[in-house]
Amino acid sequence: MKTYGGTPTEDRRSSSSARTRTRVGIADFAVTADGAVLTTSGLGSCLGVALRDERAGVAGLIHVMLPTAPDDPPNVAKYADTGIDALVASMADEGAAPGRMRAKLAGGSAMFEFDSQDEPIGERNVAVTRARLDRLGVPVDATDVGGDAGRSLRFHGDTGELRIKSAGDERLI
Amino acid sequence: MRVDIQSLGTYNRLAQEGAEHAAASLTQMTGIETYVDVTNVTLMSKRDVEDVFGGTEFVGVQIGLGGGLSGETALAFDRDSAASIVDVLVPGASAGDDDTFDEMARSGVKEIGNIMMGGFVDGWADYLAASVDMTPPTYVERDGTDVLPNGALDRAEEEHVFVFESQMTAVDEQIDAYIYMLPEYGAFAEMLEASDDHENAIPMDKLTVFDEMTRQGAERAAENVSSMTGIETDVDVSRLSFVPIEDVPNTARDEVYVGTVMEFKGTPGGYLAILFDEPSARTIVDATVPMELDEPLGDMGESAIQELGNIMTSGFIDGWANVLETSIDHTPPELVHDLGTAILSPIAGRLGQSQEYAFLMDSTVVTPEGEFNCEIYAIPDEQKLKEALDSLLVERSDQLEANRESIF
Repeated sequence: MKTYGGTPTEDRRSSSSARTRTRVGIADFAVTADGAVLTTSGLGSCLGVALRDERAGVAGLIHVMLPTAPDDPPNVAKYADTGIDALVASMADEGAAPGRMRAKLAGGSAMFEFDSQDEPIGERNVAVTRARLDRLGVPVDATDVGGDAGRSLRFHGDTGELRIKSAGDERLI
Repeated sequence: MRVDIQSLGTYNRLAQEGAEHAAASLTQMTGIETYVDVTNVTLMSKRDVEDVFGGTEFVGVQIGLGGGLSGETALAFDRDSAASIVDVLVPGASAGDDDTFDEMARSGVKEIGNIMMGGFVDGWADYLAASVDMTPPTYVERDGTDVLPNGALDRAEEEHVFVFESQMTAVDEQIDAYIYMLPEYGAFAEMLEASDDHENAIPMDKLTVFDEMTRQGAERAAENVSSMTGIETDVDVSRLSFVPIEDVPNTARDEVYVGTVMEFKGTPGGYLAILFDEPSARTIVDATVPMELDEPLGDMGESAIQELGNIMTSGFIDGWANVLETSIDHTPPELVHDLGTAILSPIAGRLGQSQEYAFLMDSTVVTPEGEFNCEIYAIPDEQKLKEALDSLLVERSDQLEANRESIF
């Protein structure tokens, strides 16, 4: 019999949070310093926030689900406020400066009637994201938000192009 | 016994992290970038286990656990995925003429299985602050439920079994792998047990009743499809699982669906999504609309699906109302035609405002000839679910069982 574990060994976070992946899940983010294409799919009321510091050559994409985090959230990337902070910090680790970053937003739709009344989540995701970016001094260059259709994104880290697929349509911002 | 929801969440997270380690090992050894799609913990009856694993063919390893965590694990690949991995790992090895793996290929599978499962178990050992022993891997090449460790099915007959399942997928290739962990029931139940006054606790026996409600809802919905379309249908899979709320959208495949979504009002509150993939929707529209329709599914086709969604919804609700002996209010089902994850994301978002985890009840309605399949997702509001379970008398479900037996 082989015996594993028993004592904490290496840093458990190291492999799961190494942000080298290019596919961004829900409540997840990725950063590239070598111009990779970052993708995420199936944004409904969720919001995709693409940030880029052109001079440093660092780009990041986050797929947030909810606007505001509770105290001590188990997953910061789930929320717009804490998620953007984490993305900006992670990009800074790669040499980006918040003062040089620019943002593009896509998602935040209201897919259903029941999600269109009293404070739709999509709308709140956009509002909280804008407020957070504003506080960090990151200008929003372009948006493709709202409506009632889902979106999938491809963010080109080298050019800053954000390609959006939605309801059989393709757009570039 | 009452189950502490919070601790179920903790173990789910451990399984997710364990699976991430296993996926990282696979990536490291093969150079094939893999990620963990979804991890859930499911409470399964024997019938659920048969539904989920029946009719599939797996190649993989089984490893037994002892010490701090007792139970059994299996790492399963579908045959093609296993072949791709063996190709990279043991370039000389191959599948023989009769499609069986040779000795080298088998030892390659055992090797990768051992390493991946070591990664999976590590985090549990850390958390439990106890060492976990692993038996040497046993190579398995089997059909359906046989991939599960010996005795799992028999145990499921006596009592439900907890099954942790992680699905791993490769980024650029068609590779799927699954990790199953079936903790020893008694020991795991003790790990989960909550004191009676624990505010997050859910009574175990009522949870299994709720599982039965899901099946009953899906069966009624399927009956209604049959009577509308004349196509014989069956409920293939019906299970109750517990997943982090952000994983809910990932339970639908990454493709476009057509269907209906509605919100339950009152107790139990929550959401119901009835989704057809596009080819299935096409098939069903062709069977129900007596005229040639344009490709792709146009307004006509969508309204046929809306109608079907309405009928299935009312069947599902009848099933629930029957068990709860109460009427259930809901919003009118809304037509939706979009990516599966996008459809489920507002549901996850709305529930995610007040809960970290979701009880996800998913069922699949199929036809014997495989003409179409339909996925049904019922996701109750956690608080409302607790209220519903509290007011649900277990005798009532016994009554239900008795009625069903007398019918069939």
